[in-house]
Formats: sequence, C-alpha cells, structure tokens
Amino acid sequence: MTLLRSWRTRAALVLAVVGPGFITANVDNDAGGIATYSVAGAQFGYSLLWTMIPITIALVIVQEMSSRMGAVTGKGLSDLIREEFGLRATFLLMLALFVTNFFNIVAEFAGVASSFELFGVSKYIVVPLSALVVWGIVVHGTYSSVEKVFLSASAFYVAYIVSGVLAHPDWRAAALSTVTRPESAGFRNYGYVSMVIGLAGTTIAPWMQFYLQASIVEKGVTVRQYRASRLDVIVGCLFAAVVAWFIVVACAATLHSIGKYDIESGADAAQALRPLAGEYAYLLFAAGLFNASLFAASILPISTAYAVCEGLGLESGLDKRFDEAPAFYWLYTGLIVFGAGVVLVPRFPLLRAMVASQVANGVLLPFVLVFVLLLINDRELMNGHTNTRWYNIVSWFTVGTMIALTIAMLIAQTRG
Amino acid sequence: MSLVALSELLGATVRDATGTVRGRVREIAVAPQDHPTRVAYLIVRTPDGERALPPGALQSAGASVRATTDASQWDRYAPSDGVLLLKRDLLDQQIIDVHGRKVVRVNDVELESTPVNSHLLLNVVSVDVGARGAIRRLSKGIVPSFTLRALLERIPPRVIPWEYVDLLETDPSRRVKLKIAYEGLAKLHPADIADIVEDLPPAEREAVFETIDEEVAAEALEEIDPDIQVSIVESLDKDRAADIVEEMDPDAAADLLGELPEDRSGEILKEMEPAERREVTQLLEFGEHTAAGRMTTEFIAVDETSVVDDAIEALRRFEGSREAVATIYLIGAGNKLTGSVPLVKIATSSSAAQLSDLSEPYVACAADTPQDEVAALFDKYNLITLAVVDEHGRLSGIITADDVIAMLRHSH
Repeated sequence: MTLLRSWRTRAALVLAVVGPGFITANVDNDAGGIATYSVAGAQFGYSLLWTMIPITIALVIVQEMSSRMGAVTGKGLSDLIREEFGLRATFLLMLALFVTNFFNIVAEFAGVASSFELFGVSKYIVVPLSALVVWGIVVHGTYSSVEKVFLSASAFYVAYIVSGVLAHPDWRAAALSTVTRPESAGFRNYGYVSMVIGLAGTTIAPWMQFYLQASIVEKGVTVRQYRASRLDVIVGCLFAAVVAWFIVVACAATLHSIGKYDIESGADAAQALRPLAGEYAYLLFAAGLFNASLFAASILPISTAYAVCEGLGLESGLDKRFDEAPAFYWLYTGLIVFGAGVVLVPRFPLLRAMVASQVANGVLLPFVLVFVLLLINDRELMNGHTNTRWYNIVSWFTVGTMIALTIAMLIAQTRG
Repeated sequence: MSLVALSELLGATVRDATGTVRGRVREIAVAPQDHPTRVAYLIVRTPDGERALPPGALQSAGASVRATTDASQWDRYAPSDGVLLLKRDLLDQQIIDVHGRKVVRVNDVELESTPVNSHLLLNVVSVDVGARGAIRRLSKGIVPSFTLRALLERIPPRVIPWEYVDLLETDPSRRVKLKIAYEGLAKLHPADIADIVEDLPPAEREAVFETIDEEVAAEALEEIDPDIQVSIVESLDKDRAADIVEEMDPDAAADLLGELPEDRSGEILKEMEPAERREVTQLLEFGEHTAAGRMTTEFIAVDETSVVDDAIEALRRFEGSREAVATIYLIGAGNKLTGSVPLVKIATSSSAAQLSDLSEPYVACAADTPQDEVAALFDKYNLITLAVVDEHGRLSGIITADDVIAMLRHSH
C-alpha cells in the first residue's frame, strides 16, 4: 500500500505536468512552419540542416522562461504585463496580438483548405466543418479532456517522421550536415540567407509565449513541480525539432535531388512527393498538414480570447456563461468565424495569407520577448527564480539574434 | 464635494502657495492604521527630491493641485511599507469584489475631495473596474480633458464601493500593517469563497487561507476543487494546515490528506488534536472508493430507550455537519444499530414520545461496499443518510447525500 502510493504519487507528479510544453512546441510546426521546412529542403537539400540545433536551443530557452514565469507567479503573461507595465502598454500589445493572431488563424484555416484540396475535397465543405470542430472541442471540453485531444494531435506528427523515412534519404549525409558547421560560401547567396532567417522566424511566434504560460497556470503547475515542467518543455522542443528535421529531409531526399525547387507550400510539397516517394508518403504528408493546421486553429482563438480579456480585466473563462463573459465569447467566436470565413472568399490567396501571418508575428515578437525578459528578471515578482547571470547572457543573446533575424526577414519579405 | 479619479491626480502639476509649479504627483498614500479611507499624503516629485504633502495643506486637487503652504515647508518623503500606495498596490491589480463575489482588475480609483475650512479632505470612495476608468486612462493626454469628461459622462460607471473591496497582499507582515483581514470575503457563503479562491493565483490563495478564520477556511476548503485543495494545503505551514483540517468534516479531511504526499499528511496529522486525528486516521485506512472511505464518523446516535427530548439534547450538542443531522440513529445492546428516526419525526412529535415508536426500518451497508453500490442504495431507498456498520452490526459511520452527489459528479 505504501509502496503503491509512493509510486502513484511519483507517476502522478510527472504526468501532472506533462502537456503544456509538449503541446506548445508541437503547435509551432503549424501550416506556416511546415511550408517553410518543405521549401528549405526542396531548395537547399541537406545544407540547411545545421540550423536545427541552434533553433532548438533558442526555442527551449524562450519556452523555458515562459513556463517558469507561469509556475512561479501563477499568472498569465498578459496579467503580468498589465500589472507591471500598466494599462496603455497592455492595451496596445493586446491590440497587436489580436490582429497578429487573426492573421495566424486565417493562415491555419488556409492550411486546412489546401490539405484537403489535395484529396479533391472543396474548401467550402472542409473549412466550415473544421471551424465547427474547433469551436466545439474547446467550448464543450474541460481543460484536461482538451489536453488529451491536443496530446494525441501532437503524437500524430509522427506522420512526418514516417514520410521522411519513406523518402529514403541519404542518412549519412543528412546526419553529417546537421552537426557540421555550414560552409561560408552559402552565406553569399541571398536566397540561402533569407531561408535561414525564415526558418528562425517561423520557430518562435508571439502567441506561443501567451499560450504556454496560460496553460501552465491553468494546469496549476507550481514551483515545486517546476523541474518536471522544464523537462516537459525540453522534450516537447526536441520532438518538434525532430519532426522539422524529417520534413526538411523528406523534401531534400526527393524534390531537391531531382532538381524540383519551385514549391511554395506544404501542399505543394505533398503533391510533389507523390511520384517520388510513393502514395503513402504523400498521404502522410497531406494528413500531417491537415492535423497541424487544425491543431493550431484550435489553440489560437481560445488563447487569444484569454490573453486579451485577462490583460484588459474583462471577465473570461469557459466556466462562465455567455452573459457573464460576453467579450470573451464574442472574441473567441469572432476569431473563428471570420478567420475561417476569410478563407472561403473565392480565389483567396492562401499562400499570401501564410506569408502575412509570419510578417505580423515578426513585428510583434521583439516586443513580447523584451517584456518576457524584463519580467523574468524582476526580483520581487520572480522571488528567487530570476535568470542566473549566464542564463541571462544566453537568453539576451538568443532574443537579440531572434530580433535581428526577424527584422532581416521583414526587410527581405517586404522587398520580395 | 467632488469626485476625482486617481488617474487624473497622478502626474498633475503641484503649485505651492505662491502659485509656482513645484513638482508633479507621483503616488497617493493611505495609512489604514490611522484611517481606513483617508488619504494620508500625496507623494510629490520635485526637482530636489520627493515630498509628502498631506491633504490638510491642499487648497484644491484635480487635474492640477494647489497647496496652501510654501514648498520649503513640505516634508521629505520617507518610504514606509505601512501605507497603501494607490498606484502601486491598487491600479491594474486584482482585488476581490465582495459584493459581486468575484475577482476583478482595477482600472481606476475614485477619491472624494471635501473642502473643510480652508483645506481639503481626500477619501477613497470606490474603485472603477469598468470601461469608464479604462477609457479615461487610455485617452489621457491624447484627448483634450473637457472633451474627455463629456465623453466619460456618457459611459455608465462600473464601480465597487470601497467597503466591498478586499485587497490581495501576499506579504503577511504587510497584511497586518495594512489591516487586510478579508473580513468581507469571510462573510460570504463558503461555496462563493471557494469560487473566488479558485480564480486567484496560488500565492494569493495562500494569503487568504493564512488570514481568514479557521472555521470559515475549513468550510471553504471543502468546496474547492481537489487539486487546488492539495496545492493550498501544501503551501500553508503545518500548524496552520492542521488547524484548518481539524475543523473540516472528517471524511473531507481524510480525502484531502489521502491526496497529499505521505510525509506531508503525516506532519499535519501530528499537529492535530488527538480526537480529530484518530477519526481521520481511521477513515484514511479504508479504501477511498468504498462506503467507509466516503463516510463521516460524526453522526447522532442515541440509546434505543430514549425519548424525543433526549434526541433534541443530542442535536444541541452535535458539532458535525448540518447534512448529518437529517437522521438520528438508535443503538441497542452491544452497541448494535437498531433503528433510525428522521429529523422530521422528531420535530413533529411530542417531547416525551419514545424514539423506538418513531423508528423506521433502517438501511445499512458494510464498510467495504463499493461506492457505486452506495449510490444505488441512495437511489433505491431515496435516502438522505446511509448507515455504515461493521461485521458485528455496530454503527461505524454514516454517508450523507451531498457526499454521494459529489462522488457521482466526479466519476463522470
């Protein structure tokens, strides 16, 4: 009995915190992420695989800070920004977050539409149905049941690993270019540099910081369980990085090796894989795209509604009735209805929507990251859990690099 | 007498008796030790350091502040944690709205300025949690102030009177200095307290449970979600935790302690009074999902030869939960359960009536009955309470209907 109980307690401790970090890292491989990785593989083969390790490190550092802040303070990121930086800063940031996330939601529904176009199913059927599913999952689920759905969706990313294997890559070459320093010659190529920037930019999105911290809080993770929670973040980021690696490898082994460089999206990549890697790889790739897009589309509207309402002090929460929290429900429903609705406009430029969402993310990201760093170093707030000196050096360097790369990406995209 | 918003006062220029601008308002301090609502002083930032300016030395306070004294007479400001700083401690922070029974965020604070003789009295009257305060602050300095005032008058106010505001402060010594005792919160129904506490961040939950009366804390804790219960009890120090757990229903206390890590529940048990500890330990030994794990050992049992008056006397002395008094159990030779009398019959019978004459056939189950069978018994016999007996037919505890409802809700 005693033995059983202590074992149960220990297992419960680990299980109790797994989730938020894993889910957040995986949602990061959304429609836009998959497109970027596919294009990187098709255009540059294995030669961009070296970016995976630094990107993973950056992702872990940024995510770890958000989850630590959630565990220590028990408050969401928008709550903390409101309390420490006042109403005006919060209002402007929430406005920007709302607009940015709207673009992201459109991009996710665009991903849903394009994945089903591969199977010849019209977007006029798929998108409204998906919107309904998204709305229903969250409104009718509790936190833990929704988390189970999301964890299963995360597991489905294995589809990309399988399709990577089916593409029969040159394992040795792929492994080598992951760990060797890139050749400096590549950096003289404009396209290569902008691809590096694109990969970095797609990795860390502003909404992830809000979502991760909020789910840590909602899950009730506290400082005592923080070690396990950090493990959750690290494992999640590693898994997400492995999935990204396989997407690049799949496209490199097939499209790049026969000289088919001109793909623009995840759907293009799936289409092009068909004659090269076979029917299964094609199906898995397309299904993976649908899963990823729907997954992100489920998380973004609810996370936005929570962040905005909490920052502005409006009543929020799914346990409230509609008339108790009208702003919350209107925001949530509006984001889904309009996000999906925009995609249904005939001849809607799906691809351009994805690019626009990444630009919006890029504009907002520096502000969010600077707020995160200021907050995490606030002694009174973090109560002995601020960054250590070396961690601060590493994280300011990471954040500085991310900001520089994002600005470079913005310049590149507005020019191109 | 006029209302002035904190956001208007903050940053307002301060002129001295000569009419020269000497500085700007940075903060407003209330000293709850001296007076619960009165502003003690404005903190004014001047070119040569910060000054504390009491309202007694003010002629007017609004978008600009005018003092009746010369700047050279203003005291230097010395920081103290015994005062409530309205901007730092209140603006943008969360508070408990005792009247509306929820946690809200402060958009602005309203002060009432009353001229007395030739100076002012400033009192905090309410906090603004609605759109009016938010718009006032967002448009300050962007929209001309007279346009803004006209605009704001059209927005219905959402304010909470100061007496219904409970502040959240996580530092225990500051709570004492600021006289924060959660008196308003403690008067609410335990289920409402539980809802409010569930909405708070962990440190603030701990603050509430460190401060409020043990009995109220125990009742509220019983209503809180089990996961949050555990995290609250883990954060309290063991003496305080034991004091609260002692006041809980033994079955609820046993459920809670069963969820805690063993060393922690051991510590708390050790601090408890022997009688309460014995009851809870007994309950802890039973499987959680059996009748015994769900039962409480606080019930009313009287000798089968007693009369109604004796039952009423037993009711008077009973300290257990209200749910448990619905049935009075009768005990015969060898402590065996022999009958049960519903409370209604006690209330409607003469005081000398024999309880055995009022007795109804009782329904009982064994200690190891699984909980779904317990629920089935409640359903079949329309029970309010169910007796749990040991192998000798002795009454060891009772299960009440509210426990069964909670059990059913959790298993679905």
